[in-house]
Amino acid sequence: MKSEYSPTDAASRWPLLLLLIKGLSWLVIAGAFSLIASIQVHTPNFMAVCPVFTYGRTAEMAETAFVYGWLGNTGLALALWVLLRLSGEPLRAQNWAIAGAIFWNLGVFGALVGIALGDRTGFELLGLPGYVQLLLFVSYGAIAVPGILAWSGRLRRISFASHWYAAAALFLFPWILSVAHVMLFSSPVRGVLQPIVAGWYAQSAWTLWLAPLALSVAYYVVPKVTGRVLPSYEFAALAFWCLVLVGGLTGGRHLVGGPVPAWIPSVAVVSCALLLFHTFVVLLNLRGAYGAPGIAAKFIAFGLTAYVVGALCDSLTSFHGIALHTQFTFFDEAQKQLALYGAASGILMGGVYFAVPRITGKAWLSPNLVRAHLGLYLCGIVLLVAMLATAGSAQSRDLLDASVPFSAITAHTHPALAGATAAEILLLLGNIAFLVNFYGTACEILKLSEPAPFAAAPAAETHAP
Amino acid sequence: MKNNVLFFAGLFAALGISWAGIVIGSNAQLGSLAPFYDDSEGAAFPPWMPGAAARGQLVYRDLGCAACHTQQVRRPGFGSDKERGWGDRQSVARDYIYQPFPQLGLSRVGPDLANLGDRKPTAPDASDLLQMLYTGSGGMPSYRFLFETRRLGAGAQPSEKALKLVGALEPRAGWEIVPTPRAESLVAYLLSLKNPYTYPEAAPVPPEKPEAAVASTGGTK
Repeated sequence: MKSEYSPTDAASRWPLLLLLIKGLSWLVIAGAFSLIASIQVHTPNFMAVCPVFTYGRTAEMAETAFVYGWLGNTGLALALWVLLRLSGEPLRAQNWAIAGAIFWNLGVFGALVGIALGDRTGFELLGLPGYVQLLLFVSYGAIAVPGILAWSGRLRRISFASHWYAAAALFLFPWILSVAHVMLFSSPVRGVLQPIVAGWYAQSAWTLWLAPLALSVAYYVVPKVTGRVLPSYEFAALAFWCLVLVGGLTGGRHLVGGPVPAWIPSVAVVSCALLLFHTFVVLLNLRGAYGAPGIAAKFIAFGLTAYVVGALCDSLTSFHGIALHTQFTFFDEAQKQLALYGAASGILMGGVYFAVPRITGKAWLSPNLVRAHLGLYLCGIVLLVAMLATAGSAQSRDLLDASVPFSAITAHTHPALAGATAAEILLLLGNIAFLVNFYGTACEILKLSEPAPFAAAPAAETHAP
Repeated sequence: MKNNVLFFAGLFAALGISWAGIVIGSNAQLGSLAPFYDDSEGAAFPPWMPGAAARGQLVYRDLGCAACHTQQVRRPGFGSDKERGWGDRQSVARDYIYQPFPQLGLSRVGPDLANLGDRKPTAPDASDLLQMLYTGSGGMPSYRFLFETRRLGAGAQPSEKALKLVGALEPRAGWEIVPTPRAESLVAYLLSLKNPYTYPEAAPVPPEKPEAAVASTGGTK
């Protein structure tokens, strides 16, 4: 307990809690939009009278709130926390992070309003209208300042895997976003170059921003909860550089058979296969998460599984012969949900469960809500991915048979898509439990009475990073 | 990794490689792709996009039609695109050079639209598309907010643009349903989607027959 409640955490809590409360709120908002979009897929006329809620817009609002609201805020909060923990002193330049967090969230809100009112861009993972991108760019830089200071001011010269992933995410995202902004918005490239740049952005945002944010948390938390040195740690640096070097080259993954030069999807095939090396090493390093005690380890173990399965699927579906079946179907959507909602979110949720008691110095308000969240999340995400994949396989079979009309495809995919809606409801309920529990725990700080002390797992106390 | 400068330089270089490879590489290859001038037709292809169609593309984009419709025909033999009548040849980069916002799409909940204006056997006309937008069909929602339901003045002639609906959807006597300018430009855009010309790079490659190859080498002996 004493070693867990550290003065460095307490002194840096406000920017972290601000980012986390925003992140969790966006998670619930994104869940509501996802639910609407999921109903619209099988019942097209749901809310169709309202131009603000066409399916294309609700799906994009859900994705934007999820990626830039939930994953962005939470990932940044946890990356800052990991960096401050490893630097051994309170965050410097906290005002930068607070100001950045406020403007980042204004930017995400502006993006949602913009999409609703007709400034949708249609690029995958880049639904942000052009005018909020500059705001997000600047505010991201401001949030990253304390992180970079914590990195450069660390006590020991040596750095750890969680360091690398956190610093890479903080450093690389502004570059990716600014390149996409220039080449797609301020002076757009011509014709099919736009989908190529957009594909490069989407894959880079996933492999160089979201995945590293999650991995930095996993690399920090797993040794803490297992109380052991990471096995095969000597390969971790290779895995890191493999991801950074190859990640952006997977950009042509979705362009198989499309009107682009054939080498672009071919490079993606090779890169996705090379990334399996990275994934394999990450699995080797973090395998201690399976069977480790505590709620954080359960979320991280699930996220790690989703990460590995997702990477295998990405690699397989980048091949020509398999893309023929999976391309343009709900199978793509299943993969995306597995990566964003399964892998990245699972690991970040585990990180939140691990970090919040340490940041606030209070135990989670309601263990029942924690268990409810875990159960609903696991059931929801497994059901969601399974149902989307089922719908995708039916759709794939029908699309390849030219004699099946689209009305029949709609009928065939209907049951599985209704199942996906049920999964979205489970996920939304779980995330509401998560938000309520977090809010209650964070409010405990403001209470004057002495709350129940937080008892950490014994293993966690003995090992510094 | 102890050297900060080296670490960040490495990160930057790694990102630079994928950017130079994918983004700059494809830009060098396709960035100056010109229209194809056919002497026998006396015209350049693809044709310039009419203004109404360019406006319609903005409507298409902001409503998110691309969430369910692709605009890229895959080559014959790779999927059922040709059999479904979406196009006799694959889409190539040159088809899109005049499109300010190419809508390739990633999902086929609905049919591909790359050749909608040239669909075999019969291409839809404007009134078909307007009616479909108003009523929806199967998996497609109705987009009633793209139409205006208005009262006819006493003795006024109905607009020639008014939808000719029958049955339950028919407006009450004295009322008519007309498309808004947004619906009209969307339809103009959809009708402009056609790739009638087969560029050299887009011509379907005939399947290689082993006996034909043998025969041709035999002929040269």
